[in-house]
Amino acid sequence: MGIREAYVGEYASGKSEYAINRALSLCGGGEEVTLVDLDLVEPFYTLRPLREELSAVGLTVIARDSRETAGLGETGNIFEPSARFSLLRPGHVVLDVGYGAYGGRVLNLLEGYPHPDLRVFVVVNAARPFTATPEKIVQFVRTFDRVDGLVSNSNLGDDTDLEVIRHGNEIVRAAARALNLPVVAAAADERFRRDLGDGEGLGAPVVYLKRFMHRAFR
Amino acid sequence: MQRTLPFSENRVFVTGNEAVAWAALAAGADIMFGYPITPQNEIMHYWTRLAPAYGKKFLQTEDELSAGFTTIGGVLAGRKAFSATAGPGTVLFQEPVTMAEMMRIPMVVIIQQRGGPSTATVIYSQQEVNLAAFGGNGEGWRVVYSTANHQELYDYTIKAFNVAWTYRFPVFVLGDGYQAKMRESLVMYDPASRGMELAPAEAVVGKPGRPGSSRPAVHLRNAFSVEEELYESIMPGEEEFRSMARRVVEHDEEGTRGAELVIISHGVVSRAAVAAIKRLKEKGIKAGYFRPVTIRPFPEEALQRAVALCPRLLVVESALGQLARLVKEALFNRPVESFDTIFRPGVGITAEELVEAVIKIRQGGTTCV
Repeated sequence: MGIREAYVGEYASGKSEYAINRALSLCGGGEEVTLVDLDLVEPFYTLRPLREELSAVGLTVIARDSRETAGLGETGNIFEPSARFSLLRPGHVVLDVGYGAYGGRVLNLLEGYPHPDLRVFVVVNAARPFTATPEKIVQFVRTFDRVDGLVSNSNLGDDTDLEVIRHGNEIVRAAARALNLPVVAAAADERFRRDLGDGEGLGAPVVYLKRFMHRAFR
Repeated sequence: MQRTLPFSENRVFVTGNEAVAWAALAAGADIMFGYPITPQNEIMHYWTRLAPAYGKKFLQTEDELSAGFTTIGGVLAGRKAFSATAGPGTVLFQEPVTMAEMMRIPMVVIIQQRGGPSTATVIYSQQEVNLAAFGGNGEGWRVVYSTANHQELYDYTIKAFNVAWTYRFPVFVLGDGYQAKMRESLVMYDPASRGMELAPAEAVVGKPGRPGSSRPAVHLRNAFSVEEELYESIMPGEEEFRSMARRVVEHDEEGTRGAELVIISHGVVSRAAVAAIKRLKEKGIKAGYFRPVTIRPFPEEALQRAVALCPRLLVVESALGQLARLVKEALFNRPVESFDTIFRPGVGITAEELVEAVIKIRQGGTTCV
């Protein structure tokens, strides 16, 4: 049975970026890897522009094309059937769940949920004001029905520096301790590979991210 | 309940809508009245997340007309009230906004432009320039700030509250869906820590005392009996608008002296213009850039000075000539050597396209279609 992982989190926490990179890291093992865009509120701003590029490198991407979308955000959207049944697909499935805690409820709509193998991770960027302290992160994570771990992903986009990553990581670790949850990964833009190396001192396996999402907004 | 802002000169990573919600808090806003519409929804969402912790209020109204009039009600009660909207919502806001113009009520409304006409797209556009600047029945007595990035969304939202409450004209902050949803870093600050004084709010209704005897009566009118009565009200209002305009008008400009051509744009498109003139410079081509920061009042004199230095113009916007119309009016009777345009209603414009366009114009071509 393949991996079943859902990435949830605060708006603009880096969920999609992390989910894309995670899905890509699973490619090449012989099993099909499916990346599912589960932003029902605003599918226009998420994986849509990247679908072709990601499909070209072997990912199966379930995201509506702009011309396939019906509904306009506030008026609701039609749930893509292949997304609804995505937990039942063969191979590995990575879910990119949009729109914060409310978006997390979309999992209830999936066929096969609750799934025994599904693990839910909250992606946390401590440079986001609503998740800027351990207390705020704890409060935020508790709004989700179920969480299996945190992904530390503190960044300021193009303005990220090592201090932002390291300081943010400490905040996320403190929150994880309070929540009694593991930090499953410390994520950083791949341009910090030379500085962070194997991630010693970060307290979690370092995962270097290739950035895709900035192009979704161009 | 927290009373002080949780940040002091912190660099944070936010969406544009979130920047606006925090800026409203920093500007001392007391209450938001709103009706949901993409792409401004997260202004409401974030405000409602902030409100309980900071003793602020929110009311979701039944539509944008109501959101506008309840905002006015909040202001009359002495609260710093504001709202946010987009597209067809901006159309409905015109009636309350003209009431604010006529009765000289301070009011702040954030507009995150989406495609038009009508429902169109929820994504992006610059098609609400006409509406924001001149959408009401009247003379357009409003201030319109067109922002280009998250720092400006934050800075100009704070400024909007101050200008509204200082001069008692409604103020729009004109963003767009790209700015609303984009994520970038900015420095959030408490205005007090930078020595900025926030204009105080004052109640118009419900004051203690007896109007007309123990205190002066307040009689704000938006209806008049005869033509002359209206005329006598409008003319001093216009004089006050013009006097305010001289103090409030803003623009941004770079490299217009000695330039072969000036790119004129506003809002998020001016990011592409700034990037384009940099790339053109690397190619040895000197292009300038001019951007009205206030769409209303329009920086006419500054544009006239820029065009006197370089009379070849390229106007670019994600609309079919709404900015260009303001540019032409500002340049009426001024000599212009060339006037090219890129009009892309509801679609973004990149630096690469602008570089290509400038090269084409230099070679004797035109970008006009």
